[in-house]
Amino acid sequence: MKPLLEVKNVTVRFGGVLALDDVSLEVRPGEFLSMIGPNGAGKTTLMRVVTGTVKPVSARIRLDGRDITMLPTHQRARLGLALTHQIVRPFRSMTLLDNVTLAAGHHRIGRVIRALTAVDRSAEREQARKYLELVGIAEAAEKSVLGRPLGVVKRLEVARALALEPKVLLLDEPLAGLNTAEAARLADTVAEINRGGLTVVMIEHNLGEVLRVSRRLAVLDNGRKIADGDPGAVMRDPAVRAAYLGKEYQDAAA
Amino acid sequence: MGIYEISLATLVGINIILALGLNMISGFCGQISLGHAAFYGIGAYTAAFMAKAGAPFPAAVLAGMVLAGLVGLAVGLTSLRVRHDFLAITTMGVGFLFLGVVRQQEILGGELGVSGIPSPGLEKTGYMVLVLILAAFFTAFSLWIKRSWMGFAFEAVADDEDTARVLTVDVAACKLTAFAMGTAMAGVAGGLYASFARFIMPDDFGFITSITVLSMVAVGGIGSVFGVIISTVILTLMPEFFRFISDYKLLLYGALLFGVMRFAPEGLAGFTRAVRKAGIRSAGKKEAAG
Amino acid sequence: MLFFELFVQGLIHGSMYAMIAVGLTLVYGLLRILHVAHAGLFALGGYLGLLITNATGSLALAMITSALIVGLGGMLVYRLCYQPILDRPPYVPLIASIGVFIAMEEVFRLVFGPYGLTYNHPHLQSQVTLLGLNLRGAEIGMVITAMVLLGGLSYLAQNTRIGIAWRATVDDPEIAESFGIDAVKVRYLNFFIGSGLAAVGGIFISLLSNLVEPTMGGVPAYKALAIIVLGGLGNVKGTLVASLALGVVEAFGTIYIGSYLDRDAIAFAFLIAVLMIRPQGLFTGR
Ligand SMILES: Nc1ncnc2c1ncn2[C@@H]1O[C@H](COP(=O)(O)OP(=O)(O)OP(=O)(O)O)[C@@H](O)[C@H]1O
Ligand SMILES: [Mg+2]
Repeated sequence: MKPLLEVKNVTVRFGGVLALDDVSLEVRPGEFLSMIGPNGAGKTTLMRVVTGTVKPVSARIRLDGRDITMLPTHQRARLGLALTHQIVRPFRSMTLLDNVTLAAGHHRIGRVIRALTAVDRSAEREQARKYLELVGIAEAAEKSVLGRPLGVVKRLEVARALALEPKVLLLDEPLAGLNTAEAARLADTVAEINRGGLTVVMIEHNLGEVLRVSRRLAVLDNGRKIADGDPGAVMRDPAVRAAYLGKEYQDAAA
Repeated sequence: MGIYEISLATLVGINIILALGLNMISGFCGQISLGHAAFYGIGAYTAAFMAKAGAPFPAAVLAGMVLAGLVGLAVGLTSLRVRHDFLAITTMGVGFLFLGVVRQQEILGGELGVSGIPSPGLEKTGYMVLVLILAAFFTAFSLWIKRSWMGFAFEAVADDEDTARVLTVDVAACKLTAFAMGTAMAGVAGGLYASFARFIMPDDFGFITSITVLSMVAVGGIGSVFGVIISTVILTLMPEFFRFISDYKLLLYGALLFGVMRFAPEGLAGFTRAVRKAGIRSAGKKEAAG
Repeated sequence: MLFFELFVQGLIHGSMYAMIAVGLTLVYGLLRILHVAHAGLFALGGYLGLLITNATGSLALAMITSALIVGLGGMLVYRLCYQPILDRPPYVPLIASIGVFIAMEEVFRLVFGPYGLTYNHPHLQSQVTLLGLNLRGAEIGMVITAMVLLGGLSYLAQNTRIGIAWRATVDDPEIAESFGIDAVKVRYLNFFIGSGLAAVGGIFISLLSNLVEPTMGGVPAYKALAIIVLGGLGNVKGTLVASLALGVVEAFGTIYIGSYLDRDAIAFAFLIAVLMIRPQGLFTGR
């Protein structure tokens, strides 16, 4: 099958730091790909190159066959990329519901004149509430984002991304900050949406959940992709054990 | 109503249009501008010269609005390059640039300004009514924009433009739209002012004016249409109320700006919101008790 | 020759700008506030300097005393105006600061009268011939003083405990605090030094024009804001370079394009042109 998202030869430098070194990744329609790797491996940076918020030294990105490398972030988003932030970025001056409603109205804000003349938000609000329910935070819908616990805001990020009705959902550590039950529930929700046909790429440190829900696993280490494939096979790969699990095994042994 | 009250009411109406214009840019879309008076000035000068050249009053004001909006669009482009404090200083620079150009050009009247601007062809009362109708129109317009999807996108840009982009918001289009609309409103206000005062000079559109408009917006509660209107009325009339201490009125003005920012940084709108909330809370308590 | 003369004039103005702008950029680097009220402190320096000089006949005494008093005034402004609203969106301290500035100008007007005061010691206006240029004593004094004060400041910042603490706080307040640096003390010191420098700058500009008036802070203050933005907000070295650059650009601009734009407009046209090419200023912040 042709890849839905095609990321080729991404190299990123931050001053002297080589954050990504010629990384390539293909995601096929309907996949649930998880990406793991130690802190600072470059996972977030790769996602930000895909959405266009980090300027790479070199990269080629195609979405659904179309080259989007030169497009600005908002146009990539309109073409079907949605990203949740690892470090949460809600609109703090809005309620939870409004955060999601704005995303649900993505088709309304594309044209200036249309956006100026349309005022009705009821349909989008309805939809937004649905997404809040889906991630389990609907009871806080009318509350301001300020003062909500991290677990709620994390799920708000997911609801907002879903409301964009993307072709590819990019999740950056959506489970961090959630308790075990919440994490399992959100992972199940995402898996279920994926089974409905949505392509998902998820960065996550929570290995238990990753192995439970994802069907493909990629490992980044030190700016390089060191493994990519069936989760079981990847976890048995000695290179992965050395780079990623080595530390945890040592920690566990200690 | 005497002549004096009529001209005060006219001035209030003009200032409301001016302040609502800035509220569009700084309040709705979050782009702080310290040079709003330049667009007020562009509107005033354009209308003044058009009127002197024989153009009918509506055409003169319209020309002021269009030119101010176009220049505003160009200045809006700078907001795509620079953000926050950089933008505040850049727009302040635009204000000084406008003054510098006008002062130095003999054709534009130089330091002496422009006098002998033809009357709009309306009695003072009629003109006041016209200005107040326009102020009402722009109030309605502001409320509409705030409720529209564009206004929603503005809110997102004001809050966090990087996140807005990820959510498909075309941040550049939002900022340019806000600048164009807000500065065009300043142009209208300027055109109305020129025909009202019939004499304009560069200092009418200087930094102090920009700051005065910004304080109308900030004291009212940045982004709140009714807050801005109320504070515009208060701040326009305040020097008149305090005429008996006219020596201290600027001192008082400075102190007020500081005081509001220090003790009620959300302005009048924040104040009423807090009062309403407290009201709801105490009402809730009563119900619970009863 | 004209070229050289304009260049020197530019540097003279530039060194005056530097004395004002350094205080502003220090405040910005530390607190992210556009400290417009700095201009009021600058004018206060001018008034105190002139009053003390006229009363005692000693310019040196006037400089030191007014730098100290204005330095303390700066600390007071921080304590009363900024400290309570530091966590607000940036326009809040900005407008508060503008309010304080307007109020200060009014106080000067009410206390000292709307018309300017002048020095009653004519020798302060004496001229010297140097390198073939006719310069005023005050101009040379200003350049030397600016060099000594700013050079001394950078020496202190590099080589003393408190200087290092200050730089650490500007770099990263949280890390600095975790090393036991008292951020509040650093801020007070910051306002003290920046305001003291502004006072000295205010005295020199009043010497140059032989005039102190309530609104004297206005234009230099707005230009100083332009300068710190040019220099890459919060960047002290960038601010120094930008001060001198702006002085020189203005000196040449007034001669060559002065019929289209006045001096202030030239400064801001330069600012806008630079920002459109380098939106982060000539130098990157901090
Ligand atoms: N804006 C930036 N400026 C400079 N360096 C950066 C920036 N963003 C990331 N880096 C560096 O790039 C490298 C990769 O960072 P990245 O955030 O992509 O890692 P990550 O795999 O997401 O880590 P984590 O699991 O901690 O989220 C790190 O060394 C990081 O310090
Ligand atoms: Mg990360």
